[in-house]
Formats: sequence, C-alpha cells, structure tokens
Amino acid sequence: MNVLELKDVTKKYGGFTAVENVSLELEPGKVLSLLGPSGCGKTTTLRIIAGFAAPDGGTVQIAGEDVGQLKPYERNVGLLFQDYALFPHMTVAQNVAYGMRYRGTPAAAIPSRVKQMLSLVQLAGMEARYPSQLSGGQQQRVALARALATDPKIVLLDEPLSALDAKLRLELRIELKEILRSVGATTIVVTHDQEEALSLGDEVVIMHAGKIVQRGAPTQIYQSPASKLVAEFVGRSNWFQATRGSSSIAGFTSYVTSDGVEIRAKSPPSDRDGRVNLCVRPEHIELMDSAVTEAPRDADHNSIAGVVLDVASLGPDVHVVVELPGKARFLAIRKNVRKIPGLAPGQCVRVLFSASDVLVF
Amino acid sequence: MLSTKERLNADVTVRTKALVGAKPILSKRRVDILLAIAVTAIIAVTALFLLFPVVVTVLMAFDARDYIGPFPPTELSTRWFGKLLEDAYIWAGFRTSLLLAIATTAAAAAMGALAALAISWMSPRWRDFVTTMFLSPLVLPGVIIGFGLLMFFAAFNQVPVFLKLFAGHLIITLPFTIRMTLVGLAGISQTLREAALSLGANERQVFFTVTLPLAKNGIAAGAIFAFAASMDDLTISLFMSDFQTYTLPLALTTLIKSSFDLTIAAAAVALMGLTIVLLIVLDSVLGLERAMGHGTNRIR
Ligand SMILES: Nc1ncnc2c1ncn2[C@@H]1O[C@H](COP(=O)(O)OP(=O)(O)OP(=O)(O)O)[C@@H](O)[C@H]1O
Ligand SMILES: [Mg+2]
Repeated sequence: MNVLELKDVTKKYGGFTAVENVSLELEPGKVLSLLGPSGCGKTTTLRIIAGFAAPDGGTVQIAGEDVGQLKPYERNVGLLFQDYALFPHMTVAQNVAYGMRYRGTPAAAIPSRVKQMLSLVQLAGMEARYPSQLSGGQQQRVALARALATDPKIVLLDEPLSALDAKLRLELRIELKEILRSVGATTIVVTHDQEEALSLGDEVVIMHAGKIVQRGAPTQIYQSPASKLVAEFVGRSNWFQATRGSSSIAGFTSYVTSDGVEIRAKSPPSDRDGRVNLCVRPEHIELMDSAVTEAPRDADHNSIAGVVLDVASLGPDVHVVVELPGKARFLAIRKNVRKIPGLAPGQCVRVLFSASDVLVF
Repeated sequence: MLSTKERLNADVTVRTKALVGAKPILSKRRVDILLAIAVTAIIAVTALFLLFPVVVTVLMAFDARDYIGPFPPTELSTRWFGKLLEDAYIWAGFRTSLLLAIATTAAAAAMGALAALAISWMSPRWRDFVTTMFLSPLVLPGVIIGFGLLMFFAAFNQVPVFLKLFAGHLIITLPFTIRMTLVGLAGISQTLREAALSLGANERQVFFTVTLPLAKNGIAAGAIFAFAASMDDLTISLFMSDFQTYTLPLALTTLIKSSFDLTIAAAAVALMGLTIVLLIVLDSVLGLERAMGHGTNRIR
C-alpha cells in the first residue's frame, strides 16, 4: 500500500495557480526527489502534505487515510525546514525530545531514544548544547534527528542542504542518504539542485510551473528526458535548432542546423514536423586535433570541425568552448587526466559525438 | 628586474610625488581625523549635558547647609537623608507610587503581551491600524489623557483614587509592553511554530512551549519600561490624585514648591539608587542587554 497518495492536488493563491493537478504516490521506504526551478510549487506541495496549506482541489491520503480535515499535529509527518527551525531556547536533547512528548513516547523511553537519534546523526555528547553553539552542519543534523525521532509516516525535507557550503553539502548528502536508508524512512526531498535530486532519490519528479512534467528513475530522467524543458533543467546541454535533411540511413536521420551544420540523430519513433531542437550533452563529446587523420565513420557518428575558443580547467573536468561554423558556441566537458592531450585556444579540432546520444525534441 | 626593496622604494617615491604634486589643502585622512575628533567631542558634550543634573543633584543631596545655597556645597553631611526617612509625606507618596508601579507593570505586561499576540495574528492591514491605536498614548499629551480620564471618572461617584491612578497609568504604560512584546514576537520565525506543530504539539502547546518562552525577553523589557514610566509619571497623577492618595513625583513637586530644603535631592538620589538596584537584579535574572535588544531569538 502506498504511504502517500496525492490525487489532482491544486492550490491557488488569488488568481495564481501555485500547484496544478499534482498526483503522486509513494511506496514505503522509498525516497522521492522533487526537483524544479525556484517558484515551481515544491514547497507548496510539501506544505499541503504537512497540513499547513489547504488544497483548493484534490485529495491527500497518508497511509490510506484521507487527511484533508486533519491539522498538522494530527498527521505524524516529519518536517525538515530549510532554516532548520531549531528551538533556540532548548538544548539539543530538548529539541530532539520535543516531538516525542506529544507523539506518545513514554516519558521513561525518551532519554534513551534521544541518545539513539543523536548517535545516528553522529552528535553523541552534544545533548546539553544550544542550537546557537552548533555549526550549520550540526544544526542540520539535529533538525534531522528531531524530525526522525517520532518515527513519522513520511519525512519531508525542504532543501535540506541548501544552507551549507559546497563541501559540507556533499558530505552531508551522502550521510543523509545513509541515515534515511538505515531508518527506512519514506521521504520526499525537495531541492532545486539536480545533483542532489538525482543522487538522493530512488525516483525523481520534475516540476515546472506547478505541474509535474516528468517522473522517473534518476538515470532515465537524465538519459531520456521527456521534453525540452526537462533536458534543459537536468544536466548541461548544447542546443541546435534544426530542420530535417534529406538523407536517412539505417535508423538515423540527418538534420541541418540553422547554421548549416549537419547532425545525425536516431530517427524519432513518430515522424514529427520537420523543425526540431537537438540537444547534445557536453560530456558525450570527444574532441580531436584536426591534424590527426580521421578514423572511418559509421552511421552512428557525428563529426564537426571547429575552433577552440576557451579552455577552463575546473579540477576534475575541463570545460572547452568550441566555435562551430556560423559562430555557434559549443561546450564540451572532458576529464582532466594526463592521457588526454591539452588543448589551446585557436586550435582547430573535430567535435565527435555519437548520433544515439543526440536528443531530439 | 628590481629587488623587492628597490621596488618598494620606487613605489614610495612615486606616491610621495603624487601627494606633493596634488597639494590638497586637507588630505582625506586629515578630514577623517577631524571628523572623528568632532564626533568624540559631540558625544562628550552630550554625556556631560546628560550627567550634569545628576551630578548636581547627588552633590546637593549631601550639602550640609541649612538652605539651598549655590553649587557646589561647602560642607558635606547626610542630614537630608535623615530628614527624608522621617518625612511621612514623602513616604506615603513613595508607598503609593511603588504599589501603583507594581500593579500597573503586572497588568500592563499581561495585557500588553496578549494584545501583541492578537495583533501578530491579524492580517497586515488591521495590524498596522490596531498597533497605531494602541500606541497612540505615546504621542498624546498626558494633559489630554489626564483630563479625559478626569471627565470620565466624574461620571461615576466615589471611584477609589488608587483605581483611578491605576487606570491612568495602565493607559500610558500599555504602549511600552505592547511595543516590546511585538518586537519580541517579530523575532520568532513562522517556521518555529510550524516545526512545533509538525512535531505533534497543538496550538495551545506551541504557545506555551515555543511562543511564550521566546517572547519572554520582549515582555520583560516592556515591563521595565512600564515600571519606569509609572514611577516617573507626573501629569496623569496630577489629575487623578487627591490630598490623601498621591504619588512620589507629585509629593516631590509639591514639596519643592512649598519648602526650600534639600530633602527632595535626597529623595532623588534614593530613587536613583533604587533604580540601579532594580536594573542590576533584572540584569542578573534576564540579561538586560538581551531583554532590551531586538532579535533575541535568532540562532545566529
Ligand atoms: N502564501 C502565498 N501567497 C501567495 N503566493 C504564494 C504563497 N506561497 C507561495 N506562493 C507562490 O507560489 C509559487 C510557488 O511557491 P513555492 O514556495 O512552492 O515555490 P518553490 O518551488 O518551493 O520555490 P523555491 O525553490 O524558491 O523554494 C511561487 O510563485 C510563490 O510566489
Ligand atoms: Mg521552496
């Protein structure tokens, strides 16, 4: 049975629709990432589930029970706020114990449960501190321990890592995933960071302008985005406007971009109208010195001549901007390893990528 | 290629030349220094101006002369304090003032806190309107409030004077407690309340475990102001008192008009001492700085 079920949930603020016909269901123990640009209605969706906002339409069921008429404190939903919302006048232990007092944990069992939760988030020994005496990362863990302590049916995390700096974010992300898995919490994680969404979620839901635009496993979202919107939002991409060319061989169609560059892609299942948008991921591109003689091409290959404009080394990756015929800019990402020879601006290169990696919209 | 030292030298030369070349009347740095001196001087003068009456009063309270002689006193004694202790008129005023201030503070703190809470739940438009209404005694001259109350109480017969004083003082102290509680409440973020609700506490429990403890400092600060305002009030008391029940400021004012001795200076010094003791006690209990300051509830 699903722990959570949203059916056609809609929320309006005045004339503005913040959430429109959102339907979701969540199986026990699963983690769902809710990903979308700022203002697309993620927080609003969470607030509806938690009971802080009443939907204008649709139903919310938690563990098979319609919770439409229930107050937030009658729902047993664990919430982690973006600003953590720790009670500043209570110690760490009191913060973690707060929910247990009201959710029927026997008073005698509370101290040991607090201890257990704090060791789960690796804060054993910090019981007597006040939130103001903790670092941002520690505050985040206390908030997580507090949310999990009551054994909620669903845990809702609103941008759990966004207030932390980049390095800590990554560490805590891995830790968060482990903790959620170890307690088997059914979770919705809201984020506008795609890496976070893809790494934390068993499944990812992409929202845009209040609507769900795609739902799927992380790899599926990245490899076969359902629309241009999703492709733009998840991962980096190079875009070309193109029209269908004449030739098509063995399941591949060739397109001609507005700058006259020919790009081959897998033929779409249905014959669309001739104007398309082509998307090529920067990490699917190989760059080769033009001087090197080309290997014979099969039908699955694209090869375009270009000139290197800029090379930026970002640690593990090198971002290379290549200018294609017609001044189109093209980003390629290569691994920063010794065996790949470096490139310099002004160098003539060939841009190589597989036709099966080209996304057509 | 120049060595570091040579380069430094060259740099200094260039900069010196630039300065000499421009020949400004006042360099930027000079202006800064002059400004700093001016600001310090203004602060010093202000402090002196504020402290002067206090110093004069304290010294005069220890004057040994029989009459109010020119400042400074020629000899010191504690005779006026002895006289103060025996002065039944002043003591009666002090007793009324203290009782009144305590009763007023307690009532104003409780009512102000509740009013502020209600205001904080209102929609923004109503909030501004109601706040302005409640704070209006701050800008309304005391004479008008006093006169209005006098007319009001004239409609009833035999209202006890203390009750009239209490009503008047409540009106002038409520703005302080409401204002300070509102400041305290503003520091409590909405997410704290929601976090508590999501953890299973109902509205009432959230109020007593989260809202009230966090607004406590604001309420206390308001109470301090209310107490001070009540102790200090002259205008309202003037309208509400009679010859039997009167406040300390009223007693002192009457005294200075009728007699020429320095008991009043001694009384002022005693009152100052009392205030300082009160502040020290409050500071040790609450932390005055926290009680007075804003945003005491922020984590960072
Ligand atoms: N109380 C409200 N009154 C009016 N409009 C609101 C209210 N709450 C949210 N909105 C609007 O609804 C839309 C969705 O808001 P929401 O907070 O759900 O966005 P979000 O996806 O969480 O964005 P972010 O990533 O920036 O947090 C926004 O355009 C916002 O302006
Ligand atoms: Mg949000």
